[in-house]
Amino acid sequence: MYTLKLETAAKARVVADDMILTKGVATAAGSKMLQGFESLFSSEALTRLENAGYGLCGKSRVGEFALDLMGETAFDGALVVDGVLKNGAAEVLSAKEADVALCLDVNGSCRRAAAQSGLISIKPTYGTVSRYGTVPVACSGETVSLMADSVEAVKKALAVVVGHDDKDGTSQSEALCDSVLKNDGTVKRVAVLKNMLVSIDADVKANIESAIEDLKKNGIEVEEIEGGNIAAAKVAWNILMCAEMCNNVSRYDGVKYGHRAQEFSNLDELYMNSRTEGFGSFLKTAIIFGSETLSTDNYMKVYDKALRTRRIIVDEFNKLFGEFDAVLMPAVSKSAYTVKDIENDKFMAFNENFYTAPASISGLPAVVSGGVQLVGKAFSENKLLTVAKLLAKEGK
Amino acid sequence: MDRETLRRLELLNQLKLTEDEKQDVLSFFELREGEHKCLEAIDTENTERMVHVLPVMTVVREDKVVKTFEREDLQRQAPETDEGYWCVPKVME
Repeated sequence: MYTLKLETAAKARVVADDMILTKGVATAAGSKMLQGFESLFSSEALTRLENAGYGLCGKSRVGEFALDLMGETAFDGALVVDGVLKNGAAEVLSAKEADVALCLDVNGSCRRAAAQSGLISIKPTYGTVSRYGTVPVACSGETVSLMADSVEAVKKALAVVVGHDDKDGTSQSEALCDSVLKNDGTVKRVAVLKNMLVSIDADVKANIESAIEDLKKNGIEVEEIEGGNIAAAKVAWNILMCAEMCNNVSRYDGVKYGHRAQEFSNLDELYMNSRTEGFGSFLKTAIIFGSETLSTDNYMKVYDKALRTRRIIVDEFNKLFGEFDAVLMPAVSKSAYTVKDIENDKFMAFNENFYTAPASISGLPAVVSGGVQLVGKAFSENKLLTVAKLLAKEGK
Repeated sequence: MDRETLRRLELLNQLKLTEDEKQDVLSFFELREGEHKCLEAIDTENTERMVHVLPVMTVVREDKVVKTFEREDLQRQAPETDEGYWCVPKVME
């Protein structure tokens, strides 16, 4: 579960995933490239939690640069229990060894973990929680997120971490950050996107049906509608995510920090051997893909197209939020990922993010509760948490 | 994606792939190129690119000197240093 377990006397314990920088405590981002790296400062979100009385109880395992399905690309191996892939932070929470987890949601792994572990997670509106002090991967969509076993625990931690931060160039204004937990939390109508319900197993389907039933019981109108181009988010996000990631990881060259190869005869070999040894195969494939999307031949056809598609997706969401308070969809296709799944398709993360990419690419807030995902209008976290409370299986 | 393009991308990204990794990349591209057809079907001709999902404010900070990090602290993570400098192989013969 942990990359490092720490002792804390604090009443409220936070586990930070290995994408969150922690002063004096190793942060490897699941990569051999950063094995043993110790940051000189902690992430802003963690600092805020520590200032509010939370104690860091450990760092949890992630896949290499949090790009994968469920930690299977970590340089020191996946966390597997009875043939099933597990997320480090979710396991720490399920073992009651932490009250809240602080994670970087790059490609949806924290939301998938929450959905499969019966936990609550929130990916807040982009820019409302500072990304200062996180390992940068896909900066235009990655968001510092929270996971816990109750809506209250998530809400309490969210109130601490949201806020403007001058150190993050994409941070929203204090007024907008403040609105996250002050905006009206009333929910009257929820849309279910029919074209996002494809390829889901019986358990996930049952969760969706149970969520619809719970919403209706609580007087919320639920309407099934077609999702239009929102289903294209996966393809567009894969392009943008890999392009941004390939630029971000270009900083790792074995000179100032990170892995340095032992064998080299000149500077080019130092770079090449260090990167070849330091990065895993999954990441190398994504780097090559990302750089190709930015090449002269593909920039307009692929990368620019993905940026324009992002606007279409955001516009479609905004149109939906004119009529609905939230959109319900799965976060995963199945209730558990097995080692066999990865053996059959090592790049499964780039398909499974079909369910998480819509919120990632659009920067919209998303909550996972009761095994399903709800996406809301920007700054509508209060509404999402209202629904999360209705769907949570806490004590049920 | 062909072998020659892949070789160029390896060099560009300072990576040396094994034969298995090359095969992975080629099949990955095949899958992704198939998916890109779904983007081609979306009419984006009159749509502006969206780089930032929400308006980004330019953060303006007061122009004052602040203490950051000590050189020796920064260099503690370095693979090799000498008298305050980062060491790399000789670049001029």
